[in-house]
Parts: sequence; structure tokens; C-alpha cells
Amino acid sequence: MKPQLYFFIGKGGVGKSTTSALTSVYFASNGHKTLLVSMDPAHNQRDIFEQDFSEKPKRVSNTLMVKEVDTDFWIEKYLKETTKQIKDTYKYESTFNLQNYFNVLQFSPGLEEYALLLAFGDTLHKYGDEDFMVFDMAPTALTLRFFSLPFITEIWLEELLKLRSQIYKKKEIISKIKIAGKEIEQDRVKAKLKSMIGEYENLRRQFLSETTKVNLVMNNDKLSFAEAFRIRQKLSDISIGIDKIVINKLNPNENTAKIENEFKEQTIGRFPLAPKGLSGYAALKDYIEVYKETFQEISGTIEYRKR
Amino acid sequence: MTPFLKWLKEQIIAAFKITDEVMRGKAVETIEHEVAELDNIFGILVLGAFIGIPSPPIHITMELLPLMDKEFDIMLDKVLTAHDPLGHLFSTLGID
Repeated sequence: MKPQLYFFIGKGGVGKSTTSALTSVYFASNGHKTLLVSMDPAHNQRDIFEQDFSEKPKRVSNTLMVKEVDTDFWIEKYLKETTKQIKDTYKYESTFNLQNYFNVLQFSPGLEEYALLLAFGDTLHKYGDEDFMVFDMAPTALTLRFFSLPFITEIWLEELLKLRSQIYKKKEIISKIKIAGKEIEQDRVKAKLKSMIGEYENLRRQFLSETTKVNLVMNNDKLSFAEAFRIRQKLSDISIGIDKIVINKLNPNENTAKIENEFKEQTIGRFPLAPKGLSGYAALKDYIEVYKETFQEISGTIEYRKR
Repeated sequence: MTPFLKWLKEQIIAAFKITDEVMRGKAVETIEHEVAELDNIFGILVLGAFIGIPSPPIHITMELLPLMDKEFDIMLDKVLTAHDPLGHLFSTLGID
């Protein structure tokens, strides 16, 4: 079975890192192989677990590994590979000219979310045999761009493929008349477009799949409520649904009726405020022990997996 | 067959071949021009960033760039002759 993916998204500062860390530790302490991936450039997991992490997953317990996505690493790797391909295809003079343009291109907007997407694909590919993958996402803007990138890319690719096919058809006619039916060589651009569409379709399918759960983290206040509302709207535009609302930093007996009314279709998870803050693996485990009922709904998911 | 007749036959075949090539060339001239235009449009759509036109998500450009040396040349060439599009069209259509 494919790993179950948990995304934790929401406004900056609501506690995406803390709730995703707690959820990961909970899965892991129930004996499930879990990988926690920090996709937030701020990388709070190192403060929560009180140790350094990097691109290479680090083992925190027998069943839990933590990894930090380094977007700069991915952008650099990607640019290097592309530059090499360009040098292999283009004539020397044009490579020389192209390099100047290319140096500017690497500062184009949009590369950051693409780097996240590359890292996401790579993580899925390399650690596919984990039971759970928990993604601690970046604040709203970047996260929304990350989710919508495969959708936007696919629209572009489909249109480009249409135009390319039209061009190819005409080239075929020309070659039929000119070189009497001899087949022209396969269009590499068209083949590349097709393979890219396949890749993005897979990613999109992954986002929409049953094994992907989107957890929207919020606090019981006006600002994070308003933003949660907008996030739900934006995600529904690209058909991604929210599975669970996580209300973090709750005080005892706090009234959450407004959130419950607005998010009737989602299950609600309540994470009480940890008065002393949460840092260190032991503190996370203590919290899980004290607030067992918070994790009951999550254990429902585990039961579901066992079946 | 005498050497003369053989020579004559070869000449006639050669003449036919040339005529055939010319006619085939003529037949596809406009469609070739159309393809070059479409190639240019495709180039601009994907590589527009290089000539100052907003482009698709940048990773699409990056992915296709290594395969598009020909379109890249066409596009830059068109940019250089952009001040005389009518001249270009007339020469394609054979209008003097």
C-alpha cells in the first residue's frame, strides 16, 4: 500500500510545525514507519526536536525520521542539469549567448515552488515504503502555489502539445511531398511534452487521491479563521478538499462553535495549548500521553490502514 | 541503345527530376512558411522570457529549452527582421 500522506497547512504561526511534529510522533510511537518532511523554509522542526536536520532524513526514533527540504539545493541541482543539457545540444556560440539569459532566468519567480515539487516527487519516490509521510508546509502563499503548480502546468502543457501536434502534422505533409513519403524524425519536443503531462498528471492524481489528507491548522481567532476560509476556497478551485481542521493552542472550555459551523464537512481535531511550549522529543511524547483524546481521531486512520 | 540515345534518356530523366523537385518545392513553399510561423509562435510561447514576453511557468521553459535550439534560432531571427514583416511575407509569396 502506498504511504498515507498528511499535509499540514495554514496561516503563519498557527502551529503547523508543532501539530505535524505531534502527529508524526504519535504515528511513530504506534509502531508505524513515519517520515516527517519540513517543507517550510523557516524550518521550525529543528527547534521543536532540538536537533539539526537536513535533506538526508535523520532518525529520531526507531520508527520516525525527519527531513528538511532545502529549496536552494534543489534549484541549484536543477539549474546545473539543465545547463548541461543545453551545452550538449546547442552550438558553441549560441550556448555562449544563452548562458547570459540563463543566468537571469534562475531568478525568475516560480522556481521556489517548483523546487518544492521536485523535492516532494523525490521524497515520494525514495521513501515510498514508509507507512506515513507528514508534510509540514510553508505559509499559505507558497503552499497554495505548490498545490496549484501541477494544475497550471498541465493546462499549459496541453495547449503547447496541441500547437506542437499541428506543426508536426504540417511538417509531415511537407516531407511527404518533398521527400516522397519518407518518414520525418520523431519530434523530441512533442515526446517531452507528452512525458511531462504524464508526470504532472501523476502528481495531480496524488494530490487528489484517497491516501492524501490535507489538514488545515488554525487558531480560535478572527485572523486565522478568515485565512482558513480563503485557503479552503482556493484549494477547492483546484478540486483539493480539506479533510480535517486542526484547532491549535486551545484553552480549556474555549468555544469553537463558529469554526465547527463553518467547517461542517471536516472532522475537527483539537490541540490544547501546551503551557510551557513544546521542545524536545520527550516533551512531544508527554503531550501525546496527557492529551490522548486529541489523537483518537488519528488512531481511526491507523485502524483504517490496518484493515 | 546507342551512346547518344542513352545520353538523351539520362538528360530527359534528369530534367524531369529537376522539374519534379521544383514543383514539389513550389507546392510546399507557403505551407513551409506557415510552419515557420507556427514554430515561431511555439518558440515565443515557450521561450518568450528571452525576448521580453511573459512566459509559462518557468520550469516548462527550462525543461523544453534544451530541445528547442531550432525554434530558438527562428525566434531570434524573427525578432531581428521584425521591422520588415511585409517584405518577408512578399518574398515568401513571390511578389516583387
